[in-house]
Amino acid sequence: MTGLDLLIPEYLLLAGAIAALFVERLSPRASAGAFLGAAVALAATVAAVIIGSGGEVSGGMLTLDAVAVTVRVAILALTAIYLLWMAGRGMGPERSQEAVSLALFAALGGMLVAASRDLIVLFISLELATMPAYVLMGYRRADERNLEGALKYFLLSMTTSLIMLYGLSFLFGIAGSTSFAVIAAAPAAGLLGTFAAVFVFIGLFAKMSAAPFHYWAPDAYAGAPAASVAFVSTVPKLAGAAVMVSLATMLVPHASTVPTVIAIVAVVSMLLGNLAAFPQTDVRRLMAYSGVAHTGYMLLALSSATPAGYGAAVFYTIAYAIPSMAIMLIAAEEGTEIDDFAGLVARRPALAWGSVVLLLSLVGVPPMVGMLGKLVAFTAAVDAGRLALVVVAVVMSVVSAGYYFRILRPVFFGTRPDVPVLARSRSAAIAIALLVFATLALGIGASPLLGYLGINFF
Amino acid sequence: MLLSAIVFLPLAGALVSALLPKERAGAARWIAAAVTAVDLALVAWLLLGFDVAGGMQFIENREWITQAGIQYHLGVDGISLSMLLLSALLSLIAVIASWKQETKLGAYFAMLMLLEVGMNGVFLALDFVLFYVFWELVLVPMYFLIGTWGGPRREYASIKFFLYTLFGSVFMLVGIIALYLQGGTFDITALTGMGFPATFQWWVFAAFFLGFAVKVPVFPLHTWLPDAHVEAPTAASVLLAGIMLKMGTYGFIRIALPILPNAAEQWSGFIAALAVISIVYGAALAFAQTDLKKLVAYSSVSHMGFVMLGIASLTPEGINGAIAVMFSHGVVTGMLFLLVGMVYERTHTRVIEDVSGLSVQVPVAAGLLAFASFASLGLPGLSGFVGEFLSLLGAWKSAIPAAWVVVAAVGVLLAAAYTLRMVQRVVLGTPSKAVEGISDLSVREVVLLVPLVALTLGVGIYWDSLLRYVDPAVRATLALMGGS
Repeated sequence: MTGLDLLIPEYLLLAGAIAALFVERLSPRASAGAFLGAAVALAATVAAVIIGSGGEVSGGMLTLDAVAVTVRVAILALTAIYLLWMAGRGMGPERSQEAVSLALFAALGGMLVAASRDLIVLFISLELATMPAYVLMGYRRADERNLEGALKYFLLSMTTSLIMLYGLSFLFGIAGSTSFAVIAAAPAAGLLGTFAAVFVFIGLFAKMSAAPFHYWAPDAYAGAPAASVAFVSTVPKLAGAAVMVSLATMLVPHASTVPTVIAIVAVVSMLLGNLAAFPQTDVRRLMAYSGVAHTGYMLLALSSATPAGYGAAVFYTIAYAIPSMAIMLIAAEEGTEIDDFAGLVARRPALAWGSVVLLLSLVGVPPMVGMLGKLVAFTAAVDAGRLALVVVAVVMSVVSAGYYFRILRPVFFGTRPDVPVLARSRSAAIAIALLVFATLALGIGASPLLGYLGINFF
Repeated sequence: MLLSAIVFLPLAGALVSALLPKERAGAARWIAAAVTAVDLALVAWLLLGFDVAGGMQFIENREWITQAGIQYHLGVDGISLSMLLLSALLSLIAVIASWKQETKLGAYFAMLMLLEVGMNGVFLALDFVLFYVFWELVLVPMYFLIGTWGGPRREYASIKFFLYTLFGSVFMLVGIIALYLQGGTFDITALTGMGFPATFQWWVFAAFFLGFAVKVPVFPLHTWLPDAHVEAPTAASVLLAGIMLKMGTYGFIRIALPILPNAAEQWSGFIAALAVISIVYGAALAFAQTDLKKLVAYSSVSHMGFVMLGIASLTPEGINGAIAVMFSHGVVTGMLFLLVGMVYERTHTRVIEDVSGLSVQVPVAAGLLAFASFASLGLPGLSGFVGEFLSLLGAWKSAIPAAWVVVAAVGVLLAAAYTLRMVQRVVLGTPSKAVEGISDLSVREVVLLVPLVALTLGVGIYWDSLLRYVDPAVRATLALMGGS
């Protein structure tokens, strides 16, 4: 297949996103939109898997290499699971149709970001991916804290987008072209190249909530509905990882300091994220800081600037996104204070043991996917001579065990007097079960994915 | 396939047990007993087919995560066989010892069986990543066993246990990565005898040392142990002291020595010093304890010191002795924790001063406690003596300063002192108030202890029954080091 038929998954999402808005005219059930969205995302996942890699669209403006395809499939699969959950639980008091549509638009943007190999396409897709996220984060119109967080997110995201755009304009100036391939092949531009690269990466650091550009995340997450956070804190990061890989591939020849800058941001993120997560009592804030920390680990792999390291960065992001989304979905069901998780094992034993799998994966305990993500990320970093940073990283992952266990402890050893009344929902249960299963299965059966991403150290 | 069956049979049991509906949870006991018994039978079968001179055998080597060079590689030699036997036996005993457990049975027995998966796996894994998977897998069920079914300070003890050991093992992970990048493989057997540069070895050894030493535990990394033991339910204490501590020393013998021989020699003086401190300090602390369980816990620190001393000697005698202590300590401390648990169930106290005159009131329990104590202090003819004697002999013959060995030998006397004082107070004397009216051991409890008594006597009288399996493997390990 060549050309525009490679974008069948994108077309499907686009159609689904629009249809979800109007589906209530056809079906009286509130969950119809979400079911439709989940089905469309699932179909798109299958299509993306069948299409595979190797294709180019519009003369290489969009290129489906292994990283782009992996991220594309991961975004679609996670979106499908997310919408399946949404079909069961909705968005609380608010209507959920718009959220479905927004999630699909954001996923569409993310997929294009991952594949884009052109500055303009990249910037437009990036905006397409983030615009719906602003609305999702401010979904609870009546809640002032919610709006405050969303506004913070919007302003900071816009500012960093502009910084990034500024950097992109330098790149265009250097090479006289917006194509990644031409820019990569252009003669090195010295200081200008470094400025351009740093500006571009600052924009991405902020979107990935890497410290010290993370300030928006805890407030924005804590104000937003947990169900929105589950999506916004995970799926766009997959696209972010992919674009960081393609930008690093392009920019490292121009600015040899880029890996060092990434490494510095990595270590700051790991330290700040893990230490700041400790005192949090709100699961959303805690997961916001834990997201900062995990971005740090991912950047550590990226800073190796080797193909294996790039693959490891993407793999790590997937290993982070799956359990993280599931934890936020559980918070959306059970409540967003850590104490709301109290006594979960008595109320919902399967969910409680599932949360053990999820949280231990985030700590990096085998045989879950998180451990393998850390293994490949750290191996890539040590291989690139960043041993000291890896030592920081492993010590910080012990620290992370401390705060993840702060969630786990009430689940098993706490009691909650006011048990929330929660209707049974088969689709929500299946969605979370799928995420738990993926966390385990991708750890034990990671071989195909690792091979696909080219993570091979010898 | 036999080794895989031994490792993963308990996993199947754990899944079934965890999925039992609440009203049927009582069946978990029988499932756990059956599964651990069959597992022990499989180990016995392995023992029958084991060739003493055959080196690493029953090897299974399959591709697993090919892209990262990770293989599913299992194998057994004399050293792992002795530990595997201990693991399978104590797991069965732990299950039967928990027969009266009442709360959350399905989860409880699932955790015990999951623990066995990890322990068996650690002793059989020959691929670093697989080893690490099992190594960490052990933490999770132990965390829940202590945290859910433990004593009053269980939450603190369980998280302390988890974080301490995780802290150690992440450094081990760094060591594993370094070896992988230098040697090009995760295969433990392939990495032996590669002759890595000396400085590299030193640093990787340091990383592994942190991982293993926390587990052993070696002074000053031992502070998690008394907390974990005191709060853990009896069965968890038995497995913790009986097997999990041995994972650390096993790691030194299986991994650190043959892969990093030069570093092992450089580090041996330091390790010997820590070992001697552990022996004396553990004994001194044991002497000061008023709580029976804490006494046994600190005595473990002291006994594991002998293991480390034997390993640090890098001589065949010393390492044979180290493994003999590991085996004997597993059996004897298992017995001690079981008996302390049984006494506690009846008297509801573990304070030494409140428990006295057991021999009058419950002669069978008292006799067995005295027997286990004698074995623990290293009485010749019982299993404890063999290993400590060989460890000291090996240390004496090695480059370790003679004065240190003498101090370690004094540790044997200290062990006699604190153990005999405990026996004198608890077993002898007139029955105290807490002891009055309690019943002697039930048939189940005696049956539980009989195999441990038999092993204590068997290994104590006829050393060769254990060492004929261990010695060839030890010599093979030392040959890999290029030493004696």
